[in-house]
Amino acid sequence: MDSRQAKEMLMRYRPETTEGADPEFAEALEQARRDPELGRWFAEHRAFQTAIRESFKQLHVPADLKDRILAEYRPADIVAWWRRAAFPALAAAAAIALLIGLVLFRSQPEDRSFASFQNRVVRTAQRGYVMDITTSNLTDIRQYLEAHEAHADYVLPAPLEKLPGEGCAVLRWRNNTVSMICFDAGQRNDLYLFVARRSDLPDAPSEPQFSRIGKLTAASWSAGDKTYVLAGRGDEQFLRRYLP
Amino acid sequence: MAHNDNDSRMAAQQEFELLVSRYYSTLYQFAFSLARNEDDARDLTQQTFYAWARKGHQLRDRSKVKTWLFTTLYHEFLEKKRRRIRFPHYELSAVDQDLPNVSPATTNQLDSGTVLQSLARLDETFQAPLSLFYLQDHSYKEIADILGIPLGTVKSRISRGIAQLQQILMRGKRAGNGRREEPNG
Repeated sequence: MDSRQAKEMLMRYRPETTEGADPEFAEALEQARRDPELGRWFAEHRAFQTAIRESFKQLHVPADLKDRILAEYRPADIVAWWRRAAFPALAAAAAIALLIGLVLFRSQPEDRSFASFQNRVVRTAQRGYVMDITTSNLTDIRQYLEAHEAHADYVLPAPLEKLPGEGCAVLRWRNNTVSMICFDAGQRNDLYLFVARRSDLPDAPSEPQFSRIGKLTAASWSAGDKTYVLAGRGDEQFLRRYLP
Repeated sequence: MAHNDNDSRMAAQQEFELLVSRYYSTLYQFAFSLARNEDDARDLTQQTFYAWARKGHQLRDRSKVKTWLFTTLYHEFLEKKRRRIRFPHYELSAVDQDLPNVSPATTNQLDSGTVLQSLARLDETFQAPLSLFYLQDHSYKEIADILGIPLGTVKSRISRGIAQLQQILMRGKRAGNGRREEPNG
């Protein structure tokens, strides 16, 4: 590491953190100890960093803010999921279902068909799911999926692109990544788009095909190297409005 | 069961109070550094906790609460901003090859107002990473998760952001000196 590289590293070094133990910082710090000119620059830079940090710490926080936040929420709004009254019963049911599932799983070969995939992801949307981020911005959703190595180069049908997002999640199916994007179709109607690699689902349909899975209708199609499943409440006619 | 419900509610309320106590001031400071006015910073902080009240139970990994709160606040900010103006997209310019050095005199004159004004003049892509960096509550990995960008990009944006911040501060200092000299000239 030369002086220039050390300087670039030390630009973002924070003395009060544990970053000094990080090997890349440790080497730069050592370089600053050996090189008097770099050492002088680093001393000044640290003073600058401290001054900026202090400025942030001095940002005045309104005295009543905490009380206001606490006053605006009722306990009923914030019952944690593991403390909900129904949770013990649900947990017991889930344990039994898991046991049955394990027995069936051991006795059957792994089903990698498109029908199995579609059934699984659409039921995920109905069973309760966890969004990794919640945002209405579709660009943020795409960036999040890209940053988390999920399918992000999907092509949205034009009508779907006009809807605000709700959020997204990265799911796994048979060791393959699936992107789940939620849309707000208005009137408390959510749409769920699942994106998978087409080669992972060789029997997926090319043209939109419709099926009813639980309480949701699903439309499935493939385009480019992706397979898409769009699910939502409502009938086939409703879903057709959002297809390519 | 009613007794259990009350216990659950009390426990949930306690958990919520703990979260608010622990994070409301740094969330507000982050919000203020982005929005640069008290009303918006208040709104953003309150909206973040409101979002937690509605959707926090969806978070499976409870160790990610802090990241979740900051991510939510950041997205709320972007959303708010998008509604107000369609802001221009800034291309990341190359780092100035001469890493600037701020003189001790300039450093000594820094205060929150000056720093925030300078922060406001940074390329937008640098503002949130730098705020989170200086608030010192987050590792680089957490900053990457909050902003939804790769770790390498976070490091690069912080370095470039600091360099640009120093340039802005130095330019401000020179301009300030120039103005003070005018009456005598």
